Amino acid sequence: MNTTLLSFFPKLFNPVWLTGPLLDKELRVSSRRRRNYVLRFAYVLFLTIFVAIVWLSVVKFQGTAAYQKSRMSLAGKTIITTIVMFQFIATQLIAIIMLSTSISDEIYHRTLGVLMTTPITSFQIVIGKLFSKLLQLILLLAISLPLLAIVRIFGGVPWDYVLSSLCITLTAVIFSGSLSLFFSIGNRRAYVVIIKTVFTLGVLFAFFPTVFGVLFALLSRNFAPILRSLGNVTPILMVLLAHFNPFGAMSLNTAAMMSPTMPAGMPSFYWPLHCVFMLGCSALLIAISIKVVRKVALRQAVGQLDLTSKRKYRKQKKALPKAPGVQEPAGLIRRVKGSPVLWKELRAPIIQGAEGRNSIIGLAVTIAALLLTYATCAKEKCLDMDFTHIAYTLMFMLIGLIFNMVLSATCITSEKESRAWPILLATSMNDWQILWGKAVGVFRRCLPIWFLLAGHIILFVSVRYIHPIAIVHMFMLIAGLVVFLTCVGIYFSILFKRTTSAVVANFALAVVLWIIVPALLGLVTSTISRDKVEVFEAYVSANPVVQATTIMGGTGGQRNAKTKLSKLDFNWLSGNHSEGISSTTTLLLITTLIHISAGFLFAWRAKCRLRRNIF
Amino acid sequence: MIETKNLTKKYGNLTAVDDLNLTVKDGDIFGFIGPNGAGKTTTMRILVTLLEPTRGQASVNGLDVRRHGKKVRRLVGYMPDFMGVYDDLKVFEYLEFFAAAFGIERRKRKSIVEGVLELTDLQSKQSAAVDSLSRGMQQRLGLARVLIHDPKVLILDEPASGLDPRARIEIRELLRELKRMGKTIMISSHILSELEEICDHVGIIEHGHMVFSGTLEEILPRLGIQSKVRVKVADSQDKAVELLTALPQISQVRISGDYIAVTLHEGQNGDGIIARTLVNADLDIISIQPEKLKLDDAFLQLTKGIVH
Repeated sequence: MNTTLLSFFPKLFNPVWLTGPLLDKELRVSSRRRRNYVLRFAYVLFLTIFVAIVWLSVVKFQGTAAYQKSRMSLAGKTIITTIVMFQFIATQLIAIIMLSTSISDEIYHRTLGVLMTTPITSFQIVIGKLFSKLLQLILLLAISLPLLAIVRIFGGVPWDYVLSSLCITLTAVIFSGSLSLFFSIGNRRAYVVIIKTVFTLGVLFAFFPTVFGVLFALLSRNFAPILRSLGNVTPILMVLLAHFNPFGAMSLNTAAMMSPTMPAGMPSFYWPLHCVFMLGCSALLIAISIKVVRKVALRQAVGQLDLTSKRKYRKQKKALPKAPGVQEPAGLIRRVKGSPVLWKELRAPIIQGAEGRNSIIGLAVTIAALLLTYATCAKEKCLDMDFTHIAYTLMFMLIGLIFNMVLSATCITSEKESRAWPILLATSMNDWQILWGKAVGVFRRCLPIWFLLAGHIILFVSVRYIHPIAIVHMFMLIAGLVVFLTCVGIYFSILFKRTTSAVVANFALAVVLWIIVPALLGLVTSTISRDKVEVFEAYVSANPVVQATTIMGGTGGQRNAKTKLSKLDFNWLSGNHSEGISSTTTLLLITTLIHISAGFLFAWRAKCRLRRNIF
Repeated sequence: MIETKNLTKKYGNLTAVDDLNLTVKDGDIFGFIGPNGAGKTTTMRILVTLLEPTRGQASVNGLDVRRHGKKVRRLVGYMPDFMGVYDDLKVFEYLEFFAAAFGIERRKRKSIVEGVLELTDLQSKQSAAVDSLSRGMQQRLGLARVLIHDPKVLILDEPASGLDPRARIEIRELLRELKRMGKTIMISSHILSELEEICDHVGIIEHGHMVFSGTLEEILPRLGIQSKVRVKVADSQDKAVELLTALPQISQVRISGDYIAVTLHEGQNGDGIIARTLVNADLDIISIQPEKLKLDDAFLQLTKGIVH
């Protein structure tokens, strides 16, 4: 008895019982991967850039020393907020990407079944995978700690904010990572896992709170006397909801630090409570993952293919040898028409793995959610406002662009990963035929989102809430961006072996082009060379978000829709410049041509590299 | 038909193929043998235009693989060591897809696909999803795909790996059938006994070098391997051993179970002299059987087990 107890306690505090040898293996492997060092370098680089931008914008070079000193406390707060928010978003994204192939890789390489033949438990597999990636993320968080400590010298930032924000970030990272790991059990492709995780997080932490807010607003109007008798419940509800939402928690925590005197009636926000809630949710997800992993692993261990869904299992069972001469029904065979690559791309499901019932449910939920937002806008009488159409256009455009980036970066790496790429290249098809087929396939898969955007604009043009020229302008904008992003994505898909690398590279390019460079230019023009502001403005005018906002700002709303074409006024860069229809159209045309030309340049480079780095 | 001259492929500091010279004649089955990492797959990938050689020449049917990539691809059917499949296609669709990729007219495709399905005995699987097929079936499908554009040359990288004995025999028969159809086949495999049965020529490669190329019969003198003969007599086994040991053409005689193992000196063909000696001594001969050199033996003697 005593011996058992004596051996139990050292075991309890030894992490090996928790993760088995998996953590050790994962850490060894990750230390040999160049991309992890690149990631750390990129993380520090981006963090430095953000801090530099905030530093230079808050701490002005002009003014007396006393004035500058007086701004130090504000600078400290702003810099710390920037670091915290950067970490909060970046580490969650990295966690999602890092864990997107954690289990699927084991399934795909058929090592999960092998693991099950050892004493390693499915609990150790899941925890080992999760912790190995989390350790790297904690390392990223630790990188910023010295910076946070230094900035505290400026004053104004309490230690408990640093601590609470780190805890909120860490628990959010654990939750996002657990969700990504959970999805990686059933999906082989990293991008599908990433999209599903981001979508789920969006539904949980943006869509549901919005719906709740809308419903509450409607209820508060109908049941105003009852609610009035309860006092001011809105702030109470806000704080309560923040306990279940990491984004809300972080915002509330930061707001409390920036202005310590909270409005009257505002209840306290307990960040440990939020962290406990998030950890509980993560534990639940991990428990489900452990159960599912065990099922999949056992199935693989007994020789079944790496298939997780019942549908695929049935498909596999169907393929078992039949009696000689027994012909399988040939009714569902589709004949190849036209270019084979194009045919294959066109017949593929819009999202791989989301065929049949799943896609119908997804589509129905999306349409229902969309209709709900339209109904709310109609009730609030804001459908004839320009900002409503700006919001819808931006939403559709950004979703479309994200899909475009992901799908284009995936189209060739997925073939490389499934080792079908050399076979395709060994055919007599020429390089342009393959590239064209892939590009059209990407466009086709994004088409439903562009249909939604087009549908929105055409619908409100027909009811005269949007000026018809918006159709032309938005077409120009989207056409340029689609060509550019598709070609860039295909180029990265050819350049890299792994889907995740290609997707990350494509996103990184977009972030650099449309966020980092404008931010740096803005910084340079505002602090060093103020006379070069036109360069900054010209560059920012080519930003898709700025262009879409300007187009819809100039054409959206009842007033603009009824204005003569020649009298339309487009406010570029928050009202700094107002341009007419001709100059706006010219600017859009130039941007579109630049995007298309740059896209063709990438397509040409993709063609040159098509037969390199095949294996 | 297939020819390489001083073919070299380097990956950074690693030389995968080093001054490789090989020739495969029209209508031959050429067995390409070598340890793992010897450069077989790299050579095959160069021949099917998937890799560019660092130096040297490679040609198929007189066409340089570098300059006439597309024409070479039309001539060659390539089956890689690991065949990737498209998840969302059925067997018929998969084959028709590749038929279209090779530019076969739409009206001809159906009959061609049905033809290769019949040849590879996959008719019953034409509506099955490609990713749901068993390993053996996928290998067959790979062969069917290779044949879809009726190539003159087949380059098959370990087509029988991972298959059960029945499937291996079926693939062997299929290859024989293809040879009868006049195809030139270059095949790599680790199952040497199988290559022995179907190959006209073999090429043994190690460390990127071709250490031997020729027929199995040519290997023997090249290796300096002594011929061995198994002699079985009705009785007087000891007397037979005594007589044979005295012959100058014979280097070693020993009893091995119920037969006498005779090793001849290098370059000697001793069937005649052995028979004469035993008949003259009034010994009843049951059989005199030359011991066939196995490809495995030649492989072991020729290669040193060096891998990159």
